[in-house]
Parts: sequence; structure tokens; C-alpha cells
Amino acid sequence: MVERIEDLNLPNAVIARLIKESLPDSASVSKEARGAIARAASVFAIFVTSSSTALAHKQNHKTITAKDILQTLAELDFESFVPSLTEDLEVYRKMVKDKKESKANKKDTSSSENANASSTAVAEEAIE
Amino acid sequence: MGEPKIQSPVERAPNAETVLPLSRVRTIMKSSMDTGLITNEVLFLMTKCTELFVRHLAGEAYVDAFPQKNSETLKYEHLSQLVNKSKNLEFLLQIVPEKIRVHEFQEMLRLNRSAGSDDDDSESGSESDE
Repeated sequence: MVERIEDLNLPNAVIARLIKESLPDSASVSKEARGAIARAASVFAIFVTSSSTALAHKQNHKTITAKDILQTLAELDFESFVPSLTEDLEVYRKMVKDKKESKANKKDTSSSENANASSTAVAEEAIE
Repeated sequence: MGEPKIQSPVERAPNAETVLPLSRVRTIMKSSMDTGLITNEVLFLMTKCTELFVRHLAGEAYVDAFPQKNSETLKYEHLSQLVNKSKNLEFLLQIVPEKIRVHEFQEMLRLNRSAGSDDDDSESGSESDE
């Protein structure tokens, strides 16, 4: 739970970096502007979360999904975000899948001797 | 000098890395009432989305204020101007309000009073003290 309001702040250094990346190299940002952007970002996250939650509830879902968020963004007039986020999401899903597979492979190596044995058995049968 | 070289926040190579801390974004999401379970995938997407929003807000405000200049300082008023004119940033009107001068505010109060002197429960002052 949120105990202090500061718990909702995003780290200044990261916000500063993100801002810097989106401005021309020689441009700068005032401290006040940076603070306002940081606050706006927290509010944005809350806004999108509660709108997505409402959308999920409307469909009788308890848990919000990635799809809810993307749809909410489009509804809130941020459809320009959707294509690149969709791509990021694909990369993320692939990463999670690869991780799972490599884990499964590791587990498999211990039992692979059995698998090998049975597969040779199958091969032998096939030869006959 | 040509136009400022600002990479559009939308044209970046897709990636699965986040720079904002996931745990903090989770706390922020939880603060919104009624949020059920937050899956890792949803947390990832919301974090990415918030990062994109920061880039978008900063980039847009800058280009808007300085369409042809590369080495200016982005200030608070550029943000509040953008918020004021963008429909999709309406939810920030209270968060990034336009600043007004004290004498302008007093003038507004005075006009308010003379306009509607019968309803004196004016809340007009409550939001402008930041």
C-alpha cells in the first residue's frame, strides 16, 4: 500500500535521462519543468491504470490485460503510442518465452537420457 | 540551422528493456483503487508506456515552444501551455496549471465577486497556490 505520497514519485535521475533523450543535444530543461514532467508521468500511469481497470471490469474481467491498456490508450487519444508499444510487447513476450524454454531445456537434460533411450528404441523399431 | 534533430519517440527500435523501476510503477498502479492482480506483462507495458509519455511530453513541449531552435531551455510554462491546448492532456490541467501573477489573480477575484456577489462560496482560490 502507499504510505507516503512520495512513494508515488518516479526517480528524478531516470526522468531527467528520458527528457534529455527526447530533446536536441544542446537543449536543457529547468528543474521546475522536470519536476512537473515527473508528476505528470505518475498521474498518467494512474490515469491509464484506472481507465484500463474500468474497461476490464466492463467486460467482467477482474485483471487488466495488455490489450486493455492498448485499447485504453487509443481511447484516451494516445493512439500514437500503440504501434511502438505493441512492438515492445512482442519483444518482451518472445524474451519471456525464450527464458521459459531455456529453463525447460535445462530441466530436460537430466531426464534426457531416458528420452534418448526411448528414442533409440523407437529408431530400432523403425528399422525393423 | 535546419530543423532540430529530435527523434520521434514513436520511432525507436522495439526492445524489452525498461529504465523506470518496475517496483515503483507497480506501487503507482496499486494506488489506483480496484486494480486487481498486476501481471508482469501488464507491469512491463505500463512502465514502457510511462517512459514513452515522458519522452512525448518533453519532446512535444519543446518542439512546440522552439520549432526551429536547438539549444533552448524547456521551462515549466512551455509544459503548461502544451497541457492547456492539448485535448489528450486535459487530465493534467490540475497537475500542471498555468501560472498567473498575483495581481492578475486579485483582479480575477474582484471580477468574480462583482459578477456573482450572491454566491460567496467561491472555490476559485483553492487550486492556484502552487
